[in-house]
Amino acid sequence: MSVRWQSLIAVMLAGLLAGCGGDASKVRFAENSALAKQLLPKARKAVQKTLDEHFGAPLDSVAWLKLPVNYGKAEGTVKSVDGQKLSVEFNKEASDVESLMSPELARAGLLFTSGASVGKQVLLAKFDPKANVFEALQTLESLPAKDDTFVAAGHFLRHGRKLYARHCQHCHGVSGDGDGTTAKYLYPRPRDYRLGVFKFTSTGSFPAPIKATRDDLKRVIAQGIPGTYMPSFVPMLKENELVAIIEYIRWLAMRGEIEKGLITELKGEFSRDRSKDDGIDKALETYLAETYPNFVNEIAGEVGEKWSGAEEEGTAIIPKKPRTPDTAESRHRGKELFLGNKAKCVNCHGPAGRGNGPMTEDFQRNPATNEVYAERGLFDAWDQPIKPRDLTRGIYRGGRRPIDIYRRIYAGIKGTPMPGNSQALSEAEIWDLVNYALSVPYDPQAPKSPKPHSVAEHSTDHGHAN
Amino acid sequence: MRKFWVLFFMFWPIAAIVYSAMSPSYHWWFPGASVTDLGQRIDNLFYLILIIITVVFIGTQIALGYALWKAAHNDDDKAQFSHGSHNLEVIWSVAPAVILLFLALYQMDVWRDFRVKAYFPEGTIETPIAEVTARQFEWRIRYPAPGKKLQPKPQPDDLYAVNELRAPIGRAVMIQLRSEDVQHAFFLPHLRIKQDAIPGQIIPIWFKAEKKGIYELLCAELCGWGHYKMRAQLTVEREVEFQGYLKKLQADQNYDGFPTSDSVAKKEE
Repeated sequence: MSVRWQSLIAVMLAGLLAGCGGDASKVRFAENSALAKQLLPKARKAVQKTLDEHFGAPLDSVAWLKLPVNYGKAEGTVKSVDGQKLSVEFNKEASDVESLMSPELARAGLLFTSGASVGKQVLLAKFDPKANVFEALQTLESLPAKDDTFVAAGHFLRHGRKLYARHCQHCHGVSGDGDGTTAKYLYPRPRDYRLGVFKFTSTGSFPAPIKATRDDLKRVIAQGIPGTYMPSFVPMLKENELVAIIEYIRWLAMRGEIEKGLITELKGEFSRDRSKDDGIDKALETYLAETYPNFVNEIAGEVGEKWSGAEEEGTAIIPKKPRTPDTAESRHRGKELFLGNKAKCVNCHGPAGRGNGPMTEDFQRNPATNEVYAERGLFDAWDQPIKPRDLTRGIYRGGRRPIDIYRRIYAGIKGTPMPGNSQALSEAEIWDLVNYALSVPYDPQAPKSPKPHSVAEHSTDHGHAN
Repeated sequence: MRKFWVLFFMFWPIAAIVYSAMSPSYHWWFPGASVTDLGQRIDNLFYLILIIITVVFIGTQIALGYALWKAAHNDDDKAQFSHGSHNLEVIWSVAPAVILLFLALYQMDVWRDFRVKAYFPEGTIETPIAEVTARQFEWRIRYPAPGKKLQPKPQPDDLYAVNELRAPIGRAVMIQLRSEDVQHAFFLPHLRIKQDAIPGQIIPIWFKAEKKGIYELLCAELCGWGHYKMRAQLTVEREVEFQGYLKKLQADQNYDGFPTSDSVAKKEE
C-alpha cells in the first residue's frame, strides 16, 4: 500500500515539475493565417521572418525603433558604486519617470553612455525603486564611476506585456487578434487589434480615418465599455501600468497592420494559386532580395505615420460651438433629422431608435471586397454581424457625455457601418441630433410640436450643468 | 514512542494558539479597526464567539492531552468497549445548544440595526446616495443629480461613475445594490460590510463611515473568471468634498468640448 502512495506522489511531483518547465522560446505570436494562407509558402515564410525579426516573440520582444511606440526610455546618472550595487538618480525631466517604479526595469538593463563602461550594457538582478538602487546580475568588468550617464530602455514593452498577459490576453489573445480563450463565449467579440482600428476615438474620419490616440485607449481602459464585456480597469491599474499597457496594445496593433500590409502586397504577384507558374520561385527570390526590404521599411513608415499623426495637436474633434441648449425645439429638430433623408439615421437605427431599421433586414455589400454578404444585416470591418445601437436603452459604449455622442455622429464609429457626418451635417444639426439621441431613453415619443412647459423644464435641467 | 505522539498532538493546538495570539501584531488580522460603529459591534460579536471557542478549544485540548499522557504511562488497563452514555450525550448536546441559542439571541440587535429596514437610521431609506450595480467584472455607480432624489429608474440628469464609490463622512447613508448578470458580493472589509448582489433584487445597504480615507471595495463572491478585476474603491470624504465631487461629475458628464458651456451659451442668447 505504501509503495503505491509513494508512486502516486512521485507522479504528482513529476507533473508539477513538467508544468513549471514550459519552453518560453516556443511561445510565438499567432499568424494571421486567414490572410497568410493565400500566399505562396515561401512568401508566407518571408512575412513570418520579417515579423520575427522586427517584433520578436511575446516573451522575447524586439523594439523596432521605426515605429512611434514609446518603448520606455529613462536617462540617469550614477551616484555611487558599491560592489554589485549601483545607486543612481533618474533624470526628473524624463516624462516616463513614473513607470521606472516598474520592477520590470530590472531586467531591462542599463546602457552606459559615458565613462569607462560606455556602450556596455549591464543586466540587472534587482531594483529597489524607493532607493533607486540596482543590483547587477553579472560581475561588472569595468566599473562605472560616479557621474557616468546611462539609459534604461524597453521597460514599457516588457511591463506592458506582463500586464497584458494578466489582464487582457484572456479575451484579446496573445497576438491581439481578439481570439483569447474566453473570446468565443462573448458577444460582441473582443476587439481584434490587428486592423489598427479602434471604435471609440476622439479623432476625425474625413478624408481618411485617423487612428485612436493614447488618451482614447486610456479612456476605454479606465471607463470600460458598457453593454459589452470590456470592464473598467481603474483603480486596479495604476497610472504607470496604464501607460505601459497602452504602448503594448499600440505595438500589437501596428504589428498586425504591418503583417496585413505585407501579405496584401505579396498577394498581388505571389498568391498561392500561382504556385504552378513558370519561374515564380525565381521571381519571388528576386523580389525578396531587391524590392521587399524597402517595402518593409516603407509600410512600417506608413503605419507609423498614421499612429503618430493621431497624437498630433488638434486631431481631437472639438466643435466650434458649444452644445445647443437641450430644448424641446432642439430635440424636435434632431428627431426630424434622424427620420429625414439628410442624416438617414432611421435606415439603421429604426424609426423609434430601437436599432431595427430597414438596413438590418437587407443584404449589405462588404466595402472592403465589394462582395455582398451571405447573410442579412450589417457587418463590421472584422466581418462580425453588428447591430445598430438601440438608443432607447441609454447604454452608450463610447461614453455618454454630449461630446462623446457628438464625436460618434461627426466622425462615425470606425470599423462599423456608422458613417461620419462631418460633411453632410452642420455643427448645429449634429448638436440637435445629440440632444434628440440623449432624450430617446426618457422621452421615446419626442414631441411632435414643442410644448412650452417642457421647454422650461429642459432648460432648467441644462442649468445644472455648470 | 508513545510520548512522541502525546507531544505531537499537543504541539499543534499550542502552535495554533500562539499563531492566533501573534496575528494582530503582524496584521494577519482585521484590516485595522472598523471605520463604522456598527462594524465595531460586529467585531465585538466576533470576539465574543472567539473567546467562547478559545475556552472550549483549550479545555478540550487539555482533556485530550491528559487522556493521552495518562494512557502513555499505563500498561495495565485495557481499553473497554462502551455502548455510550446517555448522560454524556445529553450534556454535549445541550451545552452547545445553549451556547448557540445565547449567541442567536445576543446578536439580534446588531442584525436588526444592520439589516432590518425599519431600523435603518432616519433619512437613509428616503434618500439613497447611489445605486451600485455589479456586473462582470466591474461596479457601475449611479448617483442622483445634486439636490435630487435617486429614482429606481435612470433619469436624464443622473450621474455615472465606475469602480469609484464616494460617501460623506459621519452621515448615515444608504446605497441600493443590484446585479446585472450573476451573483456578486459587495464587500467593504474596512467597514465590515458584505452583502450578496442578486440579479433581479435591489438590496439596500447602509453605513456611517466615521473616518476619512480610501477603502477597498471588492467582490466577495466568485463571479466568473475575471472576479479579481472587481477591485474598486470607496472614498470617504467630508460632506463638502462629496458634494464637490458630484458637481465635478456633473460637469464632466455634460462636457461638450467647452468647459464653461453654459456661460457661453447664455451670452449668445
